[in-house]
Amino acid sequence: MRALLRVVSSLLSRPGTASAVGAIMVVYALLYLWLTGDIMGGGHGGWLALFPAWERLWQTRGPLQFEPVGLFFLGRLVWTFSPINTLLALTVGLLIGLNAVAGWRVWRSPRHCSLGAASSGLLGSLPALLAGGACCAPLLLIWLGLPFAGALASLAPMLLPGAALLLLIGLWGMARRMAQVDDS
Amino acid sequence: MQGSARLAFTLGILFSLPASLVLADPPSVSTPQVPVAHSLASFREAVRSGGPGKDGIPSIEHPRFLPADKAELSDADRIIGIHHRGQAKAYPQRILVWHEIVNDEFAGEAISITYCPLTGTALGFKRGDTELGVSGKLVNSNLVMYDRATDSEWPQILAVAIDGPLAGQGLEELRVFWTTWGAWRARHPQTEVLSEQTGFVRNYRYDPYGSYTPLSGYYRPDSTRLFPVMHRDDRFPAKTEVFGLRGAGGALAITREALREEGVVNVTLGERHYTVIHDAGLDTGWAFHNPANVSIRLADLEFTAEGIVGPGIESLEAVNGFEAMWFAWAAFYPDTALYEGGEAP
Repeated sequence: MRALLRVVSSLLSRPGTASAVGAIMVVYALLYLWLTGDIMGGGHGGWLALFPAWERLWQTRGPLQFEPVGLFFLGRLVWTFSPINTLLALTVGLLIGLNAVAGWRVWRSPRHCSLGAASSGLLGSLPALLAGGACCAPLLLIWLGLPFAGALASLAPMLLPGAALLLLIGLWGMARRMAQVDDS
Repeated sequence: MQGSARLAFTLGILFSLPASLVLADPPSVSTPQVPVAHSLASFREAVRSGGPGKDGIPSIEHPRFLPADKAELSDADRIIGIHHRGQAKAYPQRILVWHEIVNDEFAGEAISITYCPLTGTALGFKRGDTELGVSGKLVNSNLVMYDRATDSEWPQILAVAIDGPLAGQGLEELRVFWTTWGAWRARHPQTEVLSEQTGFVRNYRYDPYGSYTPLSGYYRPDSTRLFPVMHRDDRFPAKTEVFGLRGAGGALAITREALREEGVVNVTLGERHYTVIHDAGLDTGWAFHNPANVSIRLADLEFTAEGIVGPGIESLEAVNGFEAMWFAWAAFYPDTALYEGGEAP
């Protein structure tokens, strides 16, 4: 646990890696919000923000999906804004960003360890990264209208917690590896 | 640490709360007047999760309305219209696609207007002293509603409860019209229109499934359905729109082309005669049981805000009919008669 916190702190305290983590976090969050339907088309140009339903802040509309409290009209895009959905998207995005950058750092440190260890460090982050993508995969299938998407709809409640758990395990594994690299 | 405990407690309370308010009385029920082709147990086995949970698609409980001249609709926009107890109301499809049920009142009578985007069906129901909600479940891709008095589950097309204390009983239907805003407003100039002030935040300018103007996405006739069906019939592309009616004689589907071309369609189902009249103004059908097999001439008829007027109409008994995507109609009614023009089935 201490190794995990040390790695996270290390990644976020350096401007280069912190920017990379932040960029991945924001891109993933936007993708997640788009695929879950919080961000979509339908805008008629112009900029406007309305917050007519703060009372629905904690009201759910599905497993780990919360009611929007406001609307952002952003040109051709409309964002039905739920602070909780946004926070969830940013949290998973942060975990993905940390996994990706930690994996990259392990891979970029071959002189301190064997090639095998470096490769397995990067490979170790892959299941977690795939899990992050899995949150959106069924939604993407439904969006594309593929016939087996319906069968996946019932899995939706498990995807976000499952992805977060896998990402945490992946990051913890990477942190241990990085600690070994630093110690050697 | 205290903050975490408080958050966990709050989340625990939130997730354990019932999703809806439980009311005292059940909705209007009667012995079903419509055929039920599969056993209730088969329907229950065929139920699937649609993704959102119970009330995840929230019904509208306190609908607000605008006068027709304040509506931001184009003539081609799809609406669901109803004229009941002297009141005409239009419910834009682009609002109902996000809510599926509006629990409304007409001169003191409690009515639910329901719409299922996945099967393209709009039906009205008397709801008694309770409300209908969206269960989050589907059967044959069709909305499964629940009533907040008994929690019984009612597939919209079937209009018969398949689960819960009222299993086997039917809802009383009201005719609603699946038409365009321009056509509805021409027939009912005094109509009111459902406002976007629904109490919920949704992007009412966007339909997540596609578009009816122009026809695209999920609504294209040849596009694929998303969920399994109890019976598959490939005589038409899945999303082809048909006009359907069901009664004591069985179920009947009429192709839109046949209804438009022939104007009046006479069909015998079992021992019963049915007459379906094409309303060119709303581009839909009016279905009747025609016990005396009276001959109806389209040229003699007048279509008014109150209904059809003309010789022979008074001897007919109205039967509910509605548009539906072919795959869904055939799934609920595998033995349906099909009228495509020419010889009667």
